[in-house]
Amino acid sequence: MPRWGMAADLDRCTGCGACVTACHAENNISTVGPYQAMRGRAKHWIRVERYWEGEFPDVRLKFRPVMCQQCGNAPCEPVCPTYASQHTEDGLNAQVYNRCIGTRYCANACPYTVRFFDFFNPEWDKPLHLQLNPDVSLREVGVMEKCTFCVQRIKAATIQAKADETELKDGDIKPACVQSCPAQALVFGDLNDPESAVSRLSESPRGSKLLEDLGTHPAVTYLSRQTQV
Amino acid sequence: MTRPSDRQINSDLIRPLLHTSWRFYLLVLFFGGIVLTAIGTWFYQAYSGYGVTGIKWPVFWGFYITSFVFWIGISHAGTLISAILRLVQAEWRRPVTRCAEVITVFALMIGALFPIAHLGRPWLFFWLAPYPSERLIWPNFRSPLVWDFFAINTYLTGSVLFLLLPMIPDFAVIRDKSTGLRRRIYGALSMGWRGTPKQWHRLETAMSIMAVVILPVAVSVHTIVSFDFSMAPVPMWQSTIFGPYFVAGAIFSGIAGLIIAMAFLRKFLHLEAYLLPVHFENLGKLMLVMAVLWGYFVFNERLVTYYGNEPAEMAVFWRTQRESFAPLYWTMVVCNFVLPVILMGIKYTRKTITGCVIASLGVVVGMWLERFLIIVPSLGHKYLPYAYGIYRPRVLEVVIAGATFAAIVLLYVLFAKVVPIISMWELKTPEHEPGHGDQAPEVQALREVQP
Amino acid sequence: MDRRSFIKLTAVSGTTAALASCGNPENQLVRFVPDEDIVPGQATWKPGVCPLCASGCGLTVRVMDADKDVVRDGQAGVVTIYAAKKLEGSTDHPVNHGGLCTRGQASIQVTYHPDRITQPLKRSGARGEAKYDPISWDDAVTELVGRLDALVSAGNQRALALLGQARTGHRALVVQQFLQRFGAPAPVRWEIFGDDLLRRANALSFGRAQLPTFDLANARFALSFGADFLGTWNSPVSQSHGYGAMRQGRAGIRGAFVQVEARMSQTGANADRWVPVRPGTDGVLALGLAHLLMAAKVGAPDAAGRAGALIEGWSAGLPAYTPDAVEKLTGVAAAKVERLAREMAEQRPGLAMIGGPALAHTNGLFSALAVNALNALLGSVDQPGGLSFTPQFNVAAAAKAAGPAPDAGASLEELAAGILAGGAGAPQVLMIDGANPVFAAPKAWRVRDALENVPYIVSFGSFLDETSALADLILPDHSFLESWAENVPESGSAVAVATVAPPAMAPLHQTRATVDVLLDVGRRLQTPLNLPWESMEALLGITFATLPPSTEGGDAWSEAQEKGGWWGALPAALVAAPSGAASASTVAPASGFAPAAFVEPQFDGDPAQYPMHLLPYASTTFYDGSAAHLPWLQEMPDPLTSAMWSSWVEVNPTTATKLGIRDGDLVDVTSAHGTLQSTAVLTPGIAPDIVAMPMGQGHTQFTRYATGRGENPASLLAPLTEATTGALAWAATRVKIARAGDPDGRLVLFAGGKNEEGRHGPGEEHR
Repeated sequence: MPRWGMAADLDRCTGCGACVTACHAENNISTVGPYQAMRGRAKHWIRVERYWEGEFPDVRLKFRPVMCQQCGNAPCEPVCPTYASQHTEDGLNAQVYNRCIGTRYCANACPYTVRFFDFFNPEWDKPLHLQLNPDVSLREVGVMEKCTFCVQRIKAATIQAKADETELKDGDIKPACVQSCPAQALVFGDLNDPESAVSRLSESPRGSKLLEDLGTHPAVTYLSRQTQV
Repeated sequence: MTRPSDRQINSDLIRPLLHTSWRFYLLVLFFGGIVLTAIGTWFYQAYSGYGVTGIKWPVFWGFYITSFVFWIGISHAGTLISAILRLVQAEWRRPVTRCAEVITVFALMIGALFPIAHLGRPWLFFWLAPYPSERLIWPNFRSPLVWDFFAINTYLTGSVLFLLLPMIPDFAVIRDKSTGLRRRIYGALSMGWRGTPKQWHRLETAMSIMAVVILPVAVSVHTIVSFDFSMAPVPMWQSTIFGPYFVAGAIFSGIAGLIIAMAFLRKFLHLEAYLLPVHFENLGKLMLVMAVLWGYFVFNERLVTYYGNEPAEMAVFWRTQRESFAPLYWTMVVCNFVLPVILMGIKYTRKTITGCVIASLGVVVGMWLERFLIIVPSLGHKYLPYAYGIYRPRVLEVVIAGATFAAIVLLYVLFAKVVPIISMWELKTPEHEPGHGDQAPEVQALREVQP
Repeated sequence: MDRRSFIKLTAVSGTTAALASCGNPENQLVRFVPDEDIVPGQATWKPGVCPLCASGCGLTVRVMDADKDVVRDGQAGVVTIYAAKKLEGSTDHPVNHGGLCTRGQASIQVTYHPDRITQPLKRSGARGEAKYDPISWDDAVTELVGRLDALVSAGNQRALALLGQARTGHRALVVQQFLQRFGAPAPVRWEIFGDDLLRRANALSFGRAQLPTFDLANARFALSFGADFLGTWNSPVSQSHGYGAMRQGRAGIRGAFVQVEARMSQTGANADRWVPVRPGTDGVLALGLAHLLMAAKVGAPDAAGRAGALIEGWSAGLPAYTPDAVEKLTGVAAAKVERLAREMAEQRPGLAMIGGPALAHTNGLFSALAVNALNALLGSVDQPGGLSFTPQFNVAAAAKAAGPAPDAGASLEELAAGILAGGAGAPQVLMIDGANPVFAAPKAWRVRDALENVPYIVSFGSFLDETSALADLILPDHSFLESWAENVPESGSAVAVATVAPPAMAPLHQTRATVDVLLDVGRRLQTPLNLPWESMEALLGITFATLPPSTEGGDAWSEAQEKGGWWGALPAALVAAPSGAASASTVAPASGFAPAAFVEPQFDGDPAQYPMHLLPYASTTFYDGSAAHLPWLQEMPDPLTSAMWSSWVEVNPTTATKLGIRDGDLVDVTSAHGTLQSTAVLTPGIAPDIVAMPMGQGHTQFTRYATGRGENPASLLAPLTEATTGALAWAATRVKIARAGDPDGRLVLFAGGKNEEGRHGPGEEHR
């Protein structure tokens, strides 16, 4: 049984945001428009956080892509009254849209603030709807949504491997963000496979988890940006 | 004047039921209009989508949950006043008990609407109930929201019982005094009460049991409501003090609500002979104790946070102490601590009804602010600064939250129209209460009040 | 309700609540028979080419079935079509190696854009009113043919002009051949962030009029002067790929990166060290480093060959560029310069890049030559870990067409001036192919006025924008997924690349591939142009057939269609000769070019009145405004400010305090040429005397998503140009800013806080 995880190398990440748009394209995330964006309803399942340090001229800027950490000890799971947020066998935090009644408790409990709410029924100005990915459910008003590690790609690859009677190799499955990143800063794979790239990267001395002291056991390892000169 | 005679009691307290003035209709129309507007507004929200509120990423709870906790808090008035005071045999409680119990029931009903009102898909609220569903799953019993469901339903059931039981003898009195349809209705409601010693005994036993049982329920209800917050790893929510803090705050706000309700009833239903300044003074003393207790809890929580100096918590701490939420925070402190301690601490103001009412109004405002200040500053300022946010409520939320106050007034007015707002038999009780030879000083005072 | 019905329901009815879902009208829609055999639910992957910038990243396109709304014989219904669903970078492509930037990911929305022009249009209102009537393709082509025939009859073939983007490849070849055979002047190429200046510098220094390719993956030190090479400059995906490898792709080796610029760009944010420098003085810093390197005997002066000889004082070791002199001119402390030189000397191989704002000055050519000389001194030219030039597939030769005329077309400034001056040579028919100068060019050039004076304008674009809205005839192109797409990348690859992709899906609308339209027009003229290609597909087949196949006896053309292109070692006969005479080994400078020395950059505007410098930078999301119409890009938070659907003015906090401007306040930005009002964003990553605005918003006409949104900094630009190349010095405008009022909610930010530690920083709670 695999346990899916990711590694984000902050030394490679350039802050370009390719992952953000790739995620929207893959996961049928609706564009909310300027008015709703102003009111805080934009849904960026993966976002590139940026933090300034210092003052001119000794300025530094840090980029950090943050997506659902698929926590091993997820605070969002015990608090959902309808089991809409639950853990799967392969280490993902699944969001079951059909069970969600929209209490938004999970969003409060999530320390990474990676959960988003559908404030309205999604709309696509036709014919933009022709681009929608048939493998990903559309979410109705009132439910929570978040990064799924592109579970549709995981499932498709797993099913295909089973049908072909082959084994999944490391690198066969790539979530949209991982695949698009020009600097190859994101790596996805099976943490239960010690030979996988993500396993090796998660052992890196540069590696740490985000908000580790909260005890959420995230499945994403961040490799710190180094400095020299 | 001597204590009003039994006959006087009956006629004074039944009069509002039998005689309807234009003021009644005006009140019902006015508050009813507000309530209907709010209900319509909520349906507009359910139809258009939750986005018509001011809720946003990352502040996902706002006015509705504030109202929820606030009203559940207010609901602790009745049960604790009548249950605790009954158990410690404080006789001065007698005119006050039903007012208090009514607040409990109605505040609970209003509060319990909000977990439904704030849902993204409110038409599926019944999934919180543990029934064998076709989805083949039960509710998640680990979730504090499911505990809310059980706790509030239990408390509501208990409070309704606690309210209805002592209404039976009064219904009988009204039945005996009325004719026609009214007689039949109250006859049914009084369930064949004849006032026999056996029936009295049964009633008293039932009330005693309820009083004992309702106490842990009441304590657990608001503790469980506090768990809605303390079970989530949000800065300044994850605090062990939340349970007792919320319960104390609930009792506190309940007393304040009760004082206000009593003051209005006294004025509008001409109950000057029954709701005496001494009652207000005693409640005022209770409020003083609760204000000090509230101050203790807040000080405790804040000092511990300050010493802990955990960065995320301190960020929220300063946000309320001296940054954007500071005006609201210090208003809350004045309303909840400074004002009631001064007004209720000074004997002169405590003895006046006006003083008590002013302090209570301050407490109601302050307690509402307290709920708001627990929810919103923390959610807008969690662990990752990129995800900070500011919540601005929209008119619709203000209307719905504000209409709850109109709702309780409306319910109260309607209730007072059909049930005597002061428990008549309890007023007359010294003759009925078995083994009640010497009267408590408060009852003595009751007998000796001048008109 | 099943998923498909739900998709349809929400797409049709928008915000209908779940309560109102009885009596599903979708079930009554007619389903027409599809035009091709569709296998539902089965995805296929097809090759593609991203068109949004010149990099030409290779794509694989996921194609699946979708239900398209159609009306047939007056009856509304749906028909199943194959539709592109997702774009990914092509894994083997030598430019992008499987990656794809944010604009590339969003480019799929071009095909499905609701405001796309769906059929030929003829102007019906006054020019500029953007009122059009649909006409048939036949009528449209006939009309254009008629116009061109009129020019021929009047002997006025030179009155045909074409205004387009700077692109190489097959489409450019057809356009160039069309014009040449017609007798018209060479096309005018316009992009505000065009790199012609750098090409000229490279021609002078290295004999290659071409953008450079950087082998970052093998470099130990990268020094960039103003080039946003990880975001918008040159070939960003290729460079990002190399950058990632430079950092963490080699065990135990991490390349260092220093960025020199006056405003921290998205690229600059990743630097190990960020060095602010005075505008227009990047070349001085480069020469200061060269001076120190030569002094340290890292390289002898003549190691830099011709590139070095182009710099005045080079052979003497650049005595004018001592660290103190450099400090005086650039504002970079002498100690910093020395430290930087030391690091560059120690960490080899190293390379230097220059682009963007550093070249957008009146002395930009000097700066480019200086950096070229530095690179030559470091020995980084055509070496691993250095810079090289992608061998160019000679498309013209492969197509057996005469090559492009030696002199490039007129500049936009010359074109506009020529039109306004009138006279016999002024264009009578203007074709517009992908350029939007009315939006992006300085107002002082009066491009709009000039276009108003052209009797007949034809646009091939897919969207109405400020420029195409002046057209009399619109012949909308296919989107890149619906037609034969190709690209011959100028840079970003170590080996020669010719990317090609067949159409991934059938056209959604009644559009036609512009190349095919031009070829058709060429055939239908009274004097046919005799262009030897039937269609774009035919042309591609001819050129690709000349390329060596991967296996003996194979067919390069069919291989390329499957793989998405051809790449590898190009036979010498097919390599386009590098333009820029004389080989790189000649030490003497190219004739007629005096050695370059530093000259103070000129700025437009009196410094007393306009104390700040305006920097309109290429935005990661909108680039130069040409991608502002894509909703995903409007909603994507800007990497540095997290702004969405907005434009803004970046101001240094110290300057803001002096002027009484708080974060989020409205400010008026005024130059000698215009004024605009926008929202101030306080950021520490900008020099106190600079204000920066992203380019790309402020469209007055560009689909529902970009029209009327934000402000266009081009409206402030002075028409200063670099003397030798005529390139627009877009970083040379001085402005003044003043507080105009309280925040008005037009700036939409995604993020709340700006800082991680010290959570009480300025602008904390701005939203």
